[in-house]
Amino acid sequence: MEGVSPGPGGHGTSLPLEEKLYRVRYEVDADHPHIRLNETVCRECSERVCTFICPARVYVPSPEDPGRLKVNYENCLECGTCRVACPREGIVWEYPNGGMGVRYRFG
Amino acid sequence: MEEDRVKVDAIVVGAGPAGLMAAHRLAKEGLGVVVVERGQYAGSKNVSGLLYSSVLRDAIPDFEIKAPLERPVTRRSIGFIGEDLFGVVEFGAQQWRESPYNHTWVVYRAQFDRWLAQEVEETGASLLDGMVVEDLLYEGEGPSKRVVGVMVRGDEPLYSDVVILAEGALGIVSGKAMKELGMRPGRKAQTFGIGVKEIWGLPSGVIEDRFHLEPGEGAAMEWVGSPFRGLVGGGFLYTGKESVSVGFIVKVDSLARSKISPHDLMEGFKAHPEIGRYLRGGELLEYSAHILPEGGYDAVPELCHNGLLITGDAAGLVNASMYHEGANLAMKSGQLAAEAVIQARLIGDYSKRSMMLYEQMLRESFGLVDIRNARKVSEAHEVFPRVMDLLPVRFCRLLTDFYCQGQRPKRSIRREAIGRFLGGLPKFRTARDLWRFRRIVG
Repeated sequence: MEGVSPGPGGHGTSLPLEEKLYRVRYEVDADHPHIRLNETVCRECSERVCTFICPARVYVPSPEDPGRLKVNYENCLECGTCRVACPREGIVWEYPNGGMGVRYRFG
Repeated sequence: MEEDRVKVDAIVVGAGPAGLMAAHRLAKEGLGVVVVERGQYAGSKNVSGLLYSSVLRDAIPDFEIKAPLERPVTRRSIGFIGEDLFGVVEFGAQQWRESPYNHTWVVYRAQFDRWLAQEVEETGASLLDGMVVEDLLYEGEGPSKRVVGVMVRGDEPLYSDVVILAEGALGIVSGKAMKELGMRPGRKAQTFGIGVKEIWGLPSGVIEDRFHLEPGEGAAMEWVGSPFRGLVGGGFLYTGKESVSVGFIVKVDSLARSKISPHDLMEGFKAHPEIGRYLRGGELLEYSAHILPEGGYDAVPELCHNGLLITGDAAGLVNASMYHEGANLAMKSGQLAAEAVIQARLIGDYSKRSMMLYEQMLRESFGLVDIRNARKVSEAHEVFPRVMDLLPVRFCRLLTDFYCQGQRPKRSIRREAIGRFLGGLPKFRTARDLWRFRRIVG
């Protein structure tokens, strides 16, 4: 039948990350990023584990200066992975302000 | 001015299973207890799969009718998946289908923790949500240095006789406190797993058909094999009332080395025909992730100091064997921390020596016994990728080959299947790997 093919193996369950993050509720604290980077450490870092290990892809190379990292902290799921995976302590991660940040409905 | 201080008997940092159970016990005993939670509501930052409820049942015997539970787990399975084949061992018991349902539930923590917090408030504890504890407050120097309260971000300090840290796996305040008080870390550095989950909405009838369930009953499926590309970990499917959770837990260090993103791993898992079929036609409701401590017994630090107790994930109290038990142990540790505080109050002594009763009781409880018994689980983790390469692919291939139909004599088919099973298998190493893998049961 036309139009009901689930695609190769995926049964139509494949979604881009942006689509997934769209289903997460956040209380965005526009004035207070809860993540900062140690610029010198991150500039010299060659592995950049944070850029692939973050499940919300918070850490991306800056479009203006690929030597720098841009932090999309608004998407942070507060899972803690970057803090324990960064081998150089380049990430300064603090709890968002009270009531701010991710707000799961199911969890 | 000491007289102007806002002081309570006990402050609990974090309204998760550990903190709420501690507060529940303390408030029932008549102590003035304040729970400080950084989320807008309890559970709003929390993620989990199954909840083992044996400790909860002791504290709140009628939770089965009161709590927001999705489904009791009446069927479990362990599945092995290769790229082009699969095998599943499914099991269950009549006993699992009636109360206490083998103490195994599918819950959604944002809803469950919120309910538990309300229960705890009804016992007289105060819940301050939307408040971040930045650090602890100390008095004295050297060995007599003690915790006297908490520093709340953008607010007045709050004082107490004792602070129970139950802030979860991120453990930022606990880390600061351990440094400040010179508390002994675990013998080994803590290691973590990352859990990533998607919740897919589906009608309950469809879920019950697909998972072979009677109405209201639930399934927990664990999966290992090719989608996890040699990482230490595996996937799961759990049934909610009108939703299915799909996800995985893998060791963070193995993921970091692999350079695979959790998103790609999730897509690869769902793309396997044996997994995607359970979600087909559904709608994504939520995406979530969290770390969990997996370092086990050797990574558990000192848990007490003057006026301080550390509980739950912040204390590394997770059984990282195949059971992956966390919330139940957190609840137990919270209860025992409360017991120690109750005893300390009777003698008016909140010193480390007095607080040590908590560690002692924890050591004697099933919680730390299980974690200690599982302390060699890292041996299994080391050989996990090699064993997983063996089990799913070869074993399922042996079975599918055995049942291969045609017009050749069955004996020659079987001989060929066994040859294929053993072919290229380094026998000595495989035997050694399997021997070490036995540690996975903890």
